Amino acid sequence: MNIIVLVKSVIDVELNIRVKDGEVVKDGLNYILSKWDENALEAALQLKEAGDGEVTAVTVGPDRAGEALRKALAMGADKGVHVNDPAAAGSDAFGIAKILAKVIQRNAFDLVIAGRQSQDTDLGATGPVLAELLGVPLAVNVIEIDPKPAGGKLNIKRKGDVGVELIEIALPALLTANDSLNEPRLASLRGIMAARKKPMDILTLSDLGIDPETVGAAGSGIEIVEFQPPPQRAAGQKFEGEPEEIARQVVELLANEAKIFA
Amino acid sequence: MQCPNAVPECLIDRNRKPMSKILIVADVKGGEVRKSSLELLGKAAADGLTAEAVLIGAGVEGQADVLAGHGAAKVYVADDASLENFAVDRYTAAAADAVGQSAPDMVWLSASETGKALGPALAARMEAAFVSDCIAVDLSDGEVVVLRPAMATKVIQKVRIKKDGLKVITVRSGAFDAADAGPKPADVTALSIPEGDGRIVVKEVVQEQTGRVDLGDAGTIVSVGRGVKGPEGVEFVRPLADLLEAGYGASRAVVDSGWMPFDLQVGQTGRVVSPDVYFAIGISGAIQHLAGMSGSKLIVAVNKDPDAPIFSVADYGIVGDLFKVVPVLIEEIKKHKT
Ligand SMILES: Cc1cc2nc3c(=O)[nH]c(=O)nc-3n(C[C@H](O)[C@H](O)[C@H](O)COP(=O)(O)OP(=O)(O)OC[C@H]3O[C@@H](n4cnc5c(N)ncnc54)[C@H](O)[C@@H]3O)c2cc1C
Ligand SMILES: Nc1ncnc2c1ncn2[C@@H]1O[C@H](COP(=O)(O)O)[C@@H](O)[C@H]1O
Repeated sequence: MNIIVLVKSVIDVELNIRVKDGEVVKDGLNYILSKWDENALEAALQLKEAGDGEVTAVTVGPDRAGEALRKALAMGADKGVHVNDPAAAGSDAFGIAKILAKVIQRNAFDLVIAGRQSQDTDLGATGPVLAELLGVPLAVNVIEIDPKPAGGKLNIKRKGDVGVELIEIALPALLTANDSLNEPRLASLRGIMAARKKPMDILTLSDLGIDPETVGAAGSGIEIVEFQPPPQRAAGQKFEGEPEEIARQVVELLANEAKIFA
Repeated sequence: MQCPNAVPECLIDRNRKPMSKILIVADVKGGEVRKSSLELLGKAAADGLTAEAVLIGAGVEGQADVLAGHGAAKVYVADDASLENFAVDRYTAAAADAVGQSAPDMVWLSASETGKALGPALAARMEAAFVSDCIAVDLSDGEVVVLRPAMATKVIQKVRIKKDGLKVITVRSGAFDAADAGPKPADVTALSIPEGDGRIVVKEVVQEQTGRVDLGDAGTIVSVGRGVKGPEGVEFVRPLADLLEAGYGASRAVVDSGWMPFDLQVGQTGRVVSPDVYFAIGISGAIQHLAGMSGSKLIVAVNKDPDAPIFSVADYGIVGDLFKVVPVLIEEIKKHKT
């Protein structure tokens, strides 16, 4: 199986994030491989290990995206493709998907796995848009993949609104990964050493024959006008001491202040 | 926009067509239109927009009247046994058919799991601009400007849709108010039933044993975390939820351990909820959990670790062993309830 995993370098949202003058303060930000992309990669590696094939990690982004790609290689991807072109900056999901489609269509592929959403935007659009551009069937929010495809089809489970859906999807297909899909492996020291020697293709938009006007900020359908801090919650009260006593106090407050039993 | 000279005056497009027509893709669960869809109709009515709706499923046609009662001027219905389960290919085809007939300025969907799959797929099919997870939508000036949380709700993005033509957005439940309206006879247009091409076959949907109260509609939610230690702990806290007639939810740690079903996971990749009161019992307060519940009006936390991050969002934080605290909470609440 030829498996493509989409990986993105994102701001580490576990760290403190500050907003000033409508912008995210760049100082002190750390960039990592988006968590759901780790799930996507782990799924690809498990599929490869259960059968055969090759895992290619693809990213679109500036120099630092190369680090996310190196991490994917260290975890076990066989090769990397890095589309590094300033004209791609500011792309919306359609721009990114357009670029990714060009990269992916250079070779035959069986499966593309993306993250359910990227951690910096929480958008969740790139996978579905890319599936449309590639003309392949789509399953979003996948929580289980049967690692043995049969008759060109893959059995998967996705979480929907009503329950867990058992789906048979014909390859080539595109899946997006939920975090419950698996527990991503850590990159071993050997993996990190090996990653240095793995092939990494670095491409520009012109290598892919993409008109820069159709992607990047110029081609984007949306524009972030500003960032705002999230609404602040009023400072709360903390109760410590005898469980009997503090639980009673809180119920009093719920009844009299918050009036939740009224 | 025609702009012969680059005068600032010209940047204001006086001929810009105001947003006028919205097509709302209704979410149906258990045979009924979900409240979140009625909230979208409520917003359209409040903004004086023409709203039409799409209804897709099996045995759903009767729900068209509910949508009409909430202001849908027309309801496009694809009602067929083959549409009983959500399948992104068929649902996208049906929704695209409705968009073709309705020719709206925008399509609104709920940011449910269905909307999260269908929204971007439909936008891609229609080559429309797309934004997800909106919590505010401003259509004044003929422009679409939305607010949406990002980075696990650590920031709010203000986003302007600059692409001309159709715009597709998903909206979080609770962002708008639904009207209190009864059903009325709908103006129904039947959509042709899309044929799947066989590449996606939904073989089965395992419906989970959800709680008595749906988390999406619950005024109060009690959620438990790894601190309950096991299935017995889940049952130990349940009477608190029952007493409050609350929805009963869980952190991912509890769901991953198999102590509670997936459907009840609260958080970024579970349900995003904003009840009046949220009890977090034995939950540490990881950002991915907070992203799913920090919009609750009042938060009560019980955790034995005084430094647990959940206390940073809790209005009332009880530092203590939940196995000691919860029984007292139950006893004391009973006193107030009678
Ligand atoms: C990409 C991604 C997506 C995720 N999505 C979600 C999501 O949607 N929802 C979600 O919930 N998580 C999500 N997570 C997981 C999240 O990061 C946390 O791991 C999870 O929320 C932890 O669950 P918990 O608080 O129950 O467990 P823990 O973090 O283990 O916390 C247990 C808490 O219980 C307290 N405790 C223990 N014993 C007692 C006692 N006797 N009395 C009182 N308190 C006690 C402890 O002090 C501790 O604070 C996601 C993670 C990732 C990486
Ligand atoms: N710049 C990018 N390069 C590679 N993959 C991306 C990029 N942006 C998004 N993706 C993929 O699409 C998923 C969803 O992203 P988004 O639509 O931004 O939420 C991510 O988890 C990645 O798998």
